[in-house]
Amino acid sequence: MGKKTSDQAGLDRRGFLTGVAVAGGAGLSGPAQAQSNQTRMAQAQTAPAPAARPKAPLPTAAQTAAENETPAHVEALTTEKTGSDFMVDVCKTLNIDFLASCPGSTFRALQESFINYGQNKKPEWLTCLHEEVSVGMAHGYAKVAGKPMAAMLHGTVGTQHAAMGIYNAYCDRVPMILFTASAGPVEDRRPGVEWMHSVQDGAATVRDFIKWDDYPWSLQSFAESTVRGYALACAEPPGPILITADGKLQESELSKQEEAKLRIPKLTRGTQTVGDPAALKEAAKMLVAAENPVILVDRYARSQQGVDDLVRLAELLQAPVVDKQSRMNFPSQHYLYQNARGGVLVAQADCILSLEPVDLFGQLNRVRDQIERTWRSTSKPTAKVISLSTHDLLMKANYQDFQRYSAADLAITADAQATMPYLIEAVEREIGDRKSAFAARGQKMRDAQKAFAARAHADGALGWDSSPISGARMFAELWNQVKNEDWAFMSPNNYSGNWQHRLWPIEKHYQFIGNSGGSGVGYEPVAALGAALAHREVGGRLPIAIVGDGNFNMAPSVMWTAAHHKIPFLMIIQNNRAYHQEVMHIQRMANRHNRGIESGVIGTEITNPNIDYAGLARSYGAVGIGPISDPKELGEAIKKGVAAVKAGEPVLIDVIMQPRG
Amino acid sequence: MKIFAITLLAGLSLCANSALAQQAAAPAGDIENGKKHYTTDGCYQCHGTLGNGAALTGPKLANTELPFDAFLMQLRHPANDMPPYEAKIISDKTVADIYAYMKSLPKSPDAKSLPLLTGMGVK
Ligand code: HEC
Ligand SMILES: Cc1ncc(C[n+]2csc(CCOP(=O)(O)OP(=O)(O)O)c2C)c(N)n1
Ligand SMILES: [Mg+2]
Repeated sequence: MGKKTSDQAGLDRRGFLTGVAVAGGAGLSGPAQAQSNQTRMAQAQTAPAPAARPKAPLPTAAQTAAENETPAHVEALTTEKTGSDFMVDVCKTLNIDFLASCPGSTFRALQESFINYGQNKKPEWLTCLHEEVSVGMAHGYAKVAGKPMAAMLHGTVGTQHAAMGIYNAYCDRVPMILFTASAGPVEDRRPGVEWMHSVQDGAATVRDFIKWDDYPWSLQSFAESTVRGYALACAEPPGPILITADGKLQESELSKQEEAKLRIPKLTRGTQTVGDPAALKEAAKMLVAAENPVILVDRYARSQQGVDDLVRLAELLQAPVVDKQSRMNFPSQHYLYQNARGGVLVAQADCILSLEPVDLFGQLNRVRDQIERTWRSTSKPTAKVISLSTHDLLMKANYQDFQRYSAADLAITADAQATMPYLIEAVEREIGDRKSAFAARGQKMRDAQKAFAARAHADGALGWDSSPISGARMFAELWNQVKNEDWAFMSPNNYSGNWQHRLWPIEKHYQFIGNSGGSGVGYEPVAALGAALAHREVGGRLPIAIVGDGNFNMAPSVMWTAAHHKIPFLMIIQNNRAYHQEVMHIQRMANRHNRGIESGVIGTEITNPNIDYAGLARSYGAVGIGPISDPKELGEAIKKGVAAVKAGEPVLIDVIMQPRG
Repeated sequence: MKIFAITLLAGLSLCANSALAQQAAAPAGDIENGKKHYTTDGCYQCHGTLGNGAALTGPKLANTELPFDAFLMQLRHPANDMPPYEAKIISDKTVADIYAYMKSLPKSPDAKSLPLLTGMGVK
């Protein structure tokens, strides 16, 4: 290499920082100097440098100060306490255990405060390699831990990356505490990148799908908004909130006098809304009078209490439960768990109680996917529908997650889990002499349930030895290896044949956490990472995620975060080498247009080359096993994987599977 | 938007067809060609690579007990959500080949002989 040109010398870091200090020094240098500083900074931020142009070497800070008689405060280069330290004090009062982030200079002071001033505890700083991972992690975590964690997003770009994950959490009504940042007032901003990452209204990017946001302009305001935001995020129906931490507030010195004036308000979490007694009485009358009541349940239970209470209600009425599975709501092997007959039960019902429906219309209607979108009701026109839900308490315009309007006959706007004990009391009061009729109904349910396992076994035997491996075979091999463990699923069911709910005894609330909410692909690996973290904190559990190959490719770096932070889990890639959902959509269109029915795989298959997922996992420092395409080898592979998880490792097993379970 | 009872109509048409099919013998089909088209024409996507069926996307087809006419009718006028396969994109002959392939598949094992399967979920 030849000698450095003076321009390259200008890229030297010390020189670069000096240049900034001068530029920031209240315009003491002349326009020409400012111009050359700007050019240098732009170059520094967008290296490589252009062809050399002759330029004088930069003066040192001391030279500049001497020449320009810089005021003393400009040369006060260190400080003991900053606004960002106070922000950490605020967060510490909220008992947040973890904060996930991909680093970004808009919050550099806060990050440093969290890890040094806050000693990197409560919250502990977790490194994520994409902002979608940070928020997705918070999503999965909250559903297992029952409380939010935080994520920190770089100004503008970080929030943009995070947007889909935030949308999923919003649609899934899951709390998370989000922070983003922006450089301070215009005169303080360094030219170039700091402007790109500054925004007047950073929350605007995601405001349509968060519960609340604020850009506090003082530290006192930061304290109040963060505490308020936390309480709001957790209030039913929960959701993400976003606080913008101003760069100047973060980085400015906090004097003892100023600090003495600040107050962190205490956190009080509001009680949840409960259905009014008159409505509950009416609902109880309707349920008790019904010959064929059905309980439809969707985003209902947020804890074991919710599950246990629903068991009490169902047993009291001897009413079947049809579970739409946005949460773990009801024990899957209870005789009243009647998903296998869901369609028939709804069709015959004279009274339907729908608990926290995500989509009441969809529960009671079907739309046919042909050119003419005909729809039909799946229940009797005379069936009485009672909804008990918080659905209407958090609804915004624009994004359409609220689903088609569907009016219940009795709509009780309240939190279903908080209301459940009062509904049970109301039913007990109305029950009178109906007990024996209920018992007969219960017996029918027990009889029907006996057939469920046999049917599942008959279905599972189909393609038992097939390669690609069938969903039933995979879940059977998995069960065989984990049946004596305290296992917990962290992924939804929909693409793998629903075997967990058909045959596994899902009894504990933490054994299943529902789906993504917004159907944003990429949820599966990231939510699993966060859920596994929450399981790790409890200890002794074996967290399992079944993840689509398409889903995994949105965030393979979860394996690194898991390896780095020692978060063990078993991740099985349900590898159908495709965005299979979309394969079927394109097929449908080709058929509809009477052409090219062999082409559905163009743009939807993930083949040629095939991806080596196990190798990818290993490259991130995790355990990678597979690909396994022979069902006979699967048991051994899972056994190895389980052993590694129990030894504290994140494990990925690549299983070549049928397109659908 | 039209509202009508899809299942009812579909059910009727399948019944009518199976009655018809009692008389007609299933056509002889070319199993190898059927196997090829089962994949290239997308049946495997919803019905599994061996006609094993999948809970949410399509019922089992292996060793189908439907008479050929009902099988064909389902492709031409699907009962519900299955995409239509009209004669322009798949001939009666090709459907007969797929039908023959489905009929030729080995019977799946009896669940009772699979302790791993019947033991799933049993502690
Ligand atoms: C996009 C998914 C999809 C594709 C592709 C598809 N099917 Fe289907 N099929 C279904 C569904 C769903 C049903 C259930 C009835 C309905 O919804 O129309 C079905 C039902 C059937 C039935 C009736 C089975 C019974 O026992 O009632 C037959 C026969 C059938 N399909 C054959 C085929 C063949 C042959 C192909 C390929 C040429 C094919 N299907 C492609 C989804 C699909
Ligand atoms: C962000 C995003 N991009 C695209 C889609 C459309 N989409 C829905 S399902 C799906 C396939 C996901 O692939 P994979 O996880 O492998 O599941 P598969 O359907 O193959 O079982 C895609 C691309 C989406 N829902 N979200
Ligand atoms: Mg896939």
